[in-house]
Amino acid sequence: MSSNLLNVFKRLNITAATQIRLCSSVSNVVPDNREISVTKKEWKFPPQYTKPREVWIENLDTIEEKKLGLFELHPLVYATVPRIDLIHRNVEWQKKYRWVSWAHTKTRAEVRGGGRKPWPQKGLGRARHGSIRSPLWRGGGIVHGPRSGKTHFFMLPFDMRIHGLTSTLSAKFAQDDLHVVKDLELPTEEPAYIIDLIESRNWGPSVLLVDDTDYAPRNITVATDNLPHVNIMPVYGLNVYSMLKHDTLILTHSAAQKIEERLLIHLHSSITEQQMKFKLSQV
Amino acid sequence: MGSRQITEKSLVMLRSLPRLSLANIRDNPGSKHYPKRGRGQHSGDKHGAGNKGSGQRQNYMRLGYETGNNPFYLRMPHEPYYRGHHHRREYPPISLLEIQKLIDTNRIDITKPIDIASIVKSGLYRFFPDQKHFGINLTDEGVDLFATKINIEVQWASELVIAAIEKNGGVITTAYYDPHSLFLLKNPKKFFETGQAIPRRMIPPPDVIEYYTSAEKRGYLADPEKISQERLRLSQKYGYELPKLETDQYFNMLCERKDPRQIFYGLEPGWVVNLKDKCILKPRDEELLQFYAS
Amino acid sequence: MELLKTAILKTLWRPTVNIVRTTYHADKSRLIRRYGYEEKIWNGGLMPRGEGKRLPIPEYRPANPWTERKALFGQNDYIDILGPGNLHPVKTLYSVPSWIRGVTGSEYHILLRKRKMWARTGTPLVRPTKWKEYEKRLAFLYRKLNRKTKTGRSST
Repeated sequence: MSSNLLNVFKRLNITAATQIRLCSSVSNVVPDNREISVTKKEWKFPPQYTKPREVWIENLDTIEEKKLGLFELHPLVYATVPRIDLIHRNVEWQKKYRWVSWAHTKTRAEVRGGGRKPWPQKGLGRARHGSIRSPLWRGGGIVHGPRSGKTHFFMLPFDMRIHGLTSTLSAKFAQDDLHVVKDLELPTEEPAYIIDLIESRNWGPSVLLVDDTDYAPRNITVATDNLPHVNIMPVYGLNVYSMLKHDTLILTHSAAQKIEERLLIHLHSSITEQQMKFKLSQV
Repeated sequence: MGSRQITEKSLVMLRSLPRLSLANIRDNPGSKHYPKRGRGQHSGDKHGAGNKGSGQRQNYMRLGYETGNNPFYLRMPHEPYYRGHHHRREYPPISLLEIQKLIDTNRIDITKPIDIASIVKSGLYRFFPDQKHFGINLTDEGVDLFATKINIEVQWASELVIAAIEKNGGVITTAYYDPHSLFLLKNPKKFFETGQAIPRRMIPPPDVIEYYTSAEKRGYLADPEKISQERLRLSQKYGYELPKLETDQYFNMLCERKDPRQIFYGLEPGWVVNLKDKCILKPRDEELLQFYAS
Repeated sequence: MELLKTAILKTLWRPTVNIVRTTYHADKSRLIRRYGYEEKIWNGGLMPRGEGKRLPIPEYRPANPWTERKALFGQNDYIDILGPGNLHPVKTLYSVPSWIRGVTGSEYHILLRKRKMWARTGTPLVRPTKWKEYEKRLAFLYRKLNRKTKTGRSST
């Protein structure tokens, strides 16, 4: 009951804040304490040794930045040791585990022809040869060449992949490349709007938007459709490679919470089963 | 220096460094050993054939061959100690010390009866029913350190272990599970997701029926009267005072036992657990009820 | 006198000396060998400018790093951590053929698996030559690995 009431108050706060903004139409004012909603979280896994990190909840519905609220992030996920080596190993894994080399050469058995002895063994004064497809011959077979279907597959241990995600998120957050927005609602479906928005907020040219849902709102999908460097992903699609490829990472409020929840669950539970050696029959 | 400072310092350092991207990450120096480049197909190796001699000259005699003598392995008569070892039941051991450790680290809830499902769920017991594992053998290592009142159900236990548990006011039962029900106990979620009805537990095979009906072994098919007599006899043998169960505050928990046909605590055979709608479906048909009745 | 004459002549008249550069010692004789043959290797000092044939420089086509495939590379690789947990990332490798998805091994292992999985399909009947070559290669590798090589590094 009390939490419901709190939620209602929070919503009221947010709406009040936007109205005031519209009336005053003053940009870049440091927000008053009354306008912003400060969310105090009820932690399932409370941070033990470090304080939670605070982050502004921003908006996407105007070009200039507004701060809609303050939000706490768990330090185990968003402010842990940024292990560059782990990030590197994660990226290497992502490249390699899907890599199959299809380069192919034919051996002397597979090149067409070459069954007949080209000339007699003796009496001609020429070198002895048994087949015109011998590797010594031009147009002959290849020895130790690449054979099709060479895989580079391996599975990076489960905990390394978890820590790869937390390290990358922490590095992005420490470098101010991670922003939290309320939602992905845009007032228009013009691509120029989102380009101006990225430009004015000093976000990197390439932006990765992460939402909690499978379907993003229509306006933002239309606006970013022809911008190849602005991409939208669901939470479960998030990965180390994409976070590093895109300059700025934008999480919606719910996505940030969902990522935190999923990672904290794995950080606080026994992962012996996932940690076991990969078997093809398990998938 | 504490770890907190290292984290803080590295994050502060990252702020002043260029943006992390795919182009400027690398592994720790020296973390990877590249193979030496020798000459030839396998880095100049001798292809496993050793250095010179009969190994390289394709004259390596097979193992055990004694150049024409009747070899040792044929000279000795056949003594089949291990005949049928691959068909025998295996009970992977877990010691009382380990059980105590699981309890101390809060991996097992002792306010509820403990069975193989809860021990497997702790994540520290390696159990593979497909490799002829038939359950837990509770061993007596750490018998003096064990000090918890529990209601535990295992598949094999020695007299000393039974005494150690009963001395602390606990209860132990040995019970048989057929392989299929062990699969269910190992990963209940996987089974419930298939949407099948929980089957009945099978009765033990003839060679262990004696074990599981004997009161000395605290078998689950034994007469309760005889079990209480045996409890008293064991306490007199080892010289400890048997704590009274009737006055215990956890009396109900300690008295809880599975039906001989039951696999999970609280779930009867024939029930279907629906994880999606979070409900349990029970059979109503007379024929089904009769089939699943023990 | 003679000496003086030649000295004066040398100071007054200086012929322009053109050193003939030849690639090979054999070309230094006056005899023209291989008349009409055009030397393929350039030996005229600096690279040729402008005149005659232009050097073949490939047209510059910068790669687009933001094609859809590259922009979304790696999506769903952490689906077992961030998703509901019932899907393994190997299952999402749709671009890799199913018979080689998540497989490790030498050429022999992969070929064995390929033959096993393709035997049930129409391949043996539809592509008999290909199928025969798989079997031939498998037989060859079996003999090579089991009879002609020893496993592991040598002890010495």
